[in-house]
Order: sequence, then structure tokens, then C-alpha cells
Amino acid sequence: MQRRLGQGLWLSFISTPLVFIITFLIFWAFSPGHRFVDPRNLAAIAKLTPDLGVVALGIGVLMICGEFDLSIASVLPLCSFLFAQLLIAGVDPFAALALMVPVGASLGLLNGVLVTRTGLPSFIITLSMLLFWRGVLYVVSGLMPISILPYVPTNSDFAHFLTGQVGSVPAQLLWFLGIAVVLGIVLHLGRFGNWIYATGSNPDAARAMGIDTHLVKIVCYMIVGALCAFAGIMQATRLGSFTASQGIGFELKAVAAVVVGGVSLRGGVGNMLGIALGVFIIQIIDNGLILLQVPVFGVNTFIGLAVILFVIINNLANRQFAEQTT
Amino acid sequence: MEGSAQVPANDEEELFDTGSLPCVSERAAAEEAAPTNGQVLLKMVNIHKWFGRVHALRGVNFTVHRGEVVGLCGDNGAGKSTLIKVASGYHTADEGQIFFEGREVKLRSPKDARALGIETVYQEQALCPHLSIARNIFMGREPTTLLGLIDQRTMNKESMEALASMGLRLRSPHALVSALSGGQRQGVAIARAIHFKAKLVILDEPTIALSVKEVREVLDFVRHLRDQGVAVVFITHTLHHVFSVADRIVVLAHGCNLVDVRTKDTDVDELSDIIARGTLGDAVPTTQHAR
Ligand SMILES: Nc1ncnc2c1ncn2[C@@H]1O[C@H](COP(=O)(O)OP(=O)(O)O)[C@@H](O)[C@H]1O
Ligand SMILES: [Mg+2]
Repeated sequence: MQRRLGQGLWLSFISTPLVFIITFLIFWAFSPGHRFVDPRNLAAIAKLTPDLGVVALGIGVLMICGEFDLSIASVLPLCSFLFAQLLIAGVDPFAALALMVPVGASLGLLNGVLVTRTGLPSFIITLSMLLFWRGVLYVVSGLMPISILPYVPTNSDFAHFLTGQVGSVPAQLLWFLGIAVVLGIVLHLGRFGNWIYATGSNPDAARAMGIDTHLVKIVCYMIVGALCAFAGIMQATRLGSFTASQGIGFELKAVAAVVVGGVSLRGGVGNMLGIALGVFIIQIIDNGLILLQVPVFGVNTFIGLAVILFVIINNLANRQFAEQTT
Repeated sequence: MEGSAQVPANDEEELFDTGSLPCVSERAAAEEAAPTNGQVLLKMVNIHKWFGRVHALRGVNFTVHRGEVVGLCGDNGAGKSTLIKVASGYHTADEGQIFFEGREVKLRSPKDARALGIETVYQEQALCPHLSIARNIFMGREPTTLLGLIDQRTMNKESMEALASMGLRLRSPHALVSALSGGQRQGVAIARAIHFKAKLVILDEPTIALSVKEVREVLDFVRHLRDQGVAVVFITHTLHHVFSVADRIVVLAHGCNLVDVRTKDTDVDELSDIIARGTLGDAVPTTQHAR
């Protein structure tokens, strides 16, 4: 009895880690000269992944509660742009970061309120916001990059804080892991996490048990918005400038990462370890295929195939879990 | 009662003809409702509910006594679910009064009703299929440790105890609800009510889509509740299910009271007949046994 339960749990939680390890080993073995595991390449992955990864962590939580957010691809660069403007206006970078995170959360709040008030599919609402904020960004920025190096030079405290190194570990990776741990605690060990799952699994039942499902969704949107601001600023600091192309494609890549990590599109299913590894799996495939000299445009084809394959694997694992626990 | 004989049998017509009228004849019937032993626990008086232009409840009276099992019957669309959703704070009545344990109460949300001891298991899936049994039982009321995190150990232990008190043996509190049978799911939903010391448990169509064996399980759960002194409102349109457990049966038709009778004073055939016709007709004299 105990044993069978153990096996079921094991399977559902292990499927994404297993896929992660296998993906890693494949590229290790087949990249020319094993260049994939070259410390410089691994360091590059560790630095690049958190840009999308931090946002994807929020998207994972949001999708567990049953909603989407496509607007991240515009909210992220918009926050980066506003950050640059604050620096130009003479605001201290730490203060600007502290200001922008709540601004990002407010943009999320707007999404959440629109979705819960109108009752329209979040896909539609956040698609509109994606286009809306993109348009606003193009008008206010004129598509011109804005260098922030004069305000946050590479060796400044702020640059070290967001994009430096701790030993040989990039700060971005630590931020990503730290946020994943905090969200993981909220999701799996806290009351609010139980409400997130309940809202995604069966909102009627959740509401009948006194859970304010609208509030749960709004808070999840705010988490995503805040993380967009953080990721946008972290990326701008790494690049040394705001660029209008920041965040392009994130809206779908984040969904791909989270789904590969075992989150269901219908809500109620997923875990933080899977979400975090899902992001890395997508990034490793991206990076590994380029090392294998697959043309850049062909990479998406493989990622598409990989997403389908992993979703099938996750579904099998989840079904196994459900059967083995009864 | 005499008036009710003139109500047209045609559904469409009746909606239009009596749609805005109070349920005069039926109200008379309700006032003579057969009392059962024990004090009044829940009393709903002259409850009206509109959904836009649909007058779903047209002055319904409904009483439940302490520790009593009441079967709430009637055709689809009669207003059964709406009535109990008013009693459980999910809908608010547009008119009418609700008394619980003798005091008038205002139920603005399911929370208000639960605070009084009214627990409802809804017809539409009362559980979250992707969550564990324990997390479902404690949903919205999760116990926490000093650190503010969920007290998983207490949750597991107490949910297994609540299930056991209903004679339901499940393998593990971690099992996902999606893996349970329909009967077991009802058991989990009812265990939730037991654990939180409900005085009144409302079950909306708990036997719908269940196998014969599972129906028997659910009826056993109801008996367990009654043995623990908990009052039960059992909604069904399968009279056979409710007859074996109910002390009293209330029938609604088109948002009005139609019958209120002690189970031992009637039989399945007589009631089926009344429900099918939607009016009392000739059956009135035999079913109206006030005290
Ligand atoms: N949320 C709602 N919105 C609009 N009409 C409703 C709603 N709930 C119930 N009704 C209507 O109220 C009437 C009674 O429904 P209901 O209480 O569900 O009946 P029952 O449970 O007895 O089958 C029906 O005509 C139904 O269509
Ligand atoms: Mg109903």
C-alpha cells in the first residue's frame, strides 16, 4: 500500500526531472567536441535562462489557477523602458527597481481585474493587452534602444546585485532559484497555494468552500506582472540597455516551458520543480541545437516537437499517479 | 387546495398564468406541514427568487427539524437547487425570511451559512479532482502551523478519522479525488461536513449518475449522519432513493410547495403520481395529514 503510493508520487514528480536529465545527456553526447558541457556554455545558459525563467515561474503559477497571460511579452519591455526613464530622471537604480516591481504588479492587477470582471477568456484579454502595451511602447520609445550603462556601469553595485557572480555562479541563476523556492513554498506548503490549485481544478467547488477565486486569480496576475518588471530590469542590466525587442516571443515560450514542466493547460495540475526544470529544458534544447549547427529557424521546429513529446510523457505520468494512489 | 385543481396541466401555460402569483394553495399545504419530533432547526418562510425574468421560487416555505432527514423532490427545474442555494448562502433570496435555531439570519455568502453549521454538497461537482482527499476536505479552512504553512499532518489524520466515522475506508489521504468512485466522492464531501461539525447537511442530487452499489453507500452515509444527530436535506428526483432514509418528504413544483408529508404516511406510487402531474388533484385528501 505505502509502496504503491510511493511509486505513484515518485512517477509524477520525477517525469520532468527525468526528461531534463535525458535532454542534458543527449546534448552532452552529441554536441561537437562535447561543447555543450563546456563551462563557458553552461555559464551562458545559466545567465540567459533566468530572463525567460523568472517570468515563466509566474506563468506556471497562473496557469495552475487556470488562466493565461500573453501580455508578458509587452509588459516586460515596458517596465524595462520605464526603468531606463527613471534612471535618466536621476532616480537611484535600487529605488527604481523597488518602484518598478509594484508598477509591474499593477499592470498584472489590470489584467486580473479585466479577466475576472468581464468573464472573457484570459487568452483574449491578455492578447489585447499584449498588442496594446506593444503599441504604447513603440510610440513612447520610438523603437530606439536606451543605454543605461552611464547609470548602472557593469561594475556598479546594482549590476553586481542583479547580474554579478557569487563564486562561479551567476547572480541571475540565484535569483531564479530563490524566486522558484519562494513560489514553491507558497504553492505547495501555504494555504494560498491550496486555493490556487482549487481555483484551477474546480472554481465552482472552490467558491462554494468560501475561496474568493477572483481574488486568487488577480493575485496570480500580480505575481506575473511583478516578475515581468524584475526580469525586464535584470535583462536590461545584463544588456546594458533597454531594447524594444526585449520579451518578444516570451508569451509563447513561457507557455511551452511551463507545459513541458508538467502544468496542464486546463489548470489544477503542476508543481514548482517541474516548472523550473521546464524552462531549462526549453533553453537547453535551444542552445544545444545551435551547437549542433541546426539553422536558427529550424530550432523552433524541434522545440515544437519536443513540447508535444513531453506533454504526452507528463500526461502518462499523471495518469499513473492518479491510479496508483487509490 | 381546491384552487390547485384548476391550475392548467400544461407547463408553458402555467408559467405564464401563475408566474407572478404567489403559490396560494400550496402555501396552505405547507402551513399544515407534517411536523416531526424535535425542535425546528431551519425555517424558510415565503422565499422568492428571480433569475432575470425567471421566477424560480415563488414563495416557498421549508422547514427542517433537528436530526431529521428531509427528502426534497420535484421535477427538473422545480427550484430544488435554487432553494438550497438560498439556504446555503450561495444565492440570496429576493424576498422572504430565514430562521436558524429560532433566530432570523441573513445569509450573504456560503461562509455565513457554514458559520451557522449548514454544509452543502452541491450537485455540480463539490470537489476539486486534481487535489488530494485531505486537501479537499480542508479546502478554504486549512489548518496552519506556527510558521503559517499548512499543517499537513493534522489534515491527513483528521480527514482519515472523518472518513472512518462514516464507514469509508480509503487507502490514503494523499489519493487524488479524480481517482475515486462517485460514491467515494460523495463520502469525501460528506466527511468534510462531519469534520466541521455541521448541524445541517444538504446533499443536492447525491445519487445522480451513481451505480446501484454506490447509491447504497451514499444512503449509508446519510444514516451515519442521522445517527450522529445531524439533520440532512436530501435532494433527488428518484423517489426510491429517498424513501428508505427520509423521515419527511417535501415536493416542489414550478417554484411552489406541492407536498409536505411524513414518509410513513405515503408511498412511492402516490408521490410519483403527484410529481408527474405537478398538482395535487385528487391525491390531496390522502397526503394531507396534518399532525
Ligand atoms: N443561475 C441561474 N440563472 C438563471 N436561471 C436559473 C439559474 N439557476 C436556476 N435557474 C432556473 O431556475 C429554475 C429552477 O432551477 P433549479 O433550482 O436548478 O431546479 P431543480 O434543481 O429543481 O432542477 C429553472 O427554471 C432554472 O432554469
Ligand atoms: Mg438541481
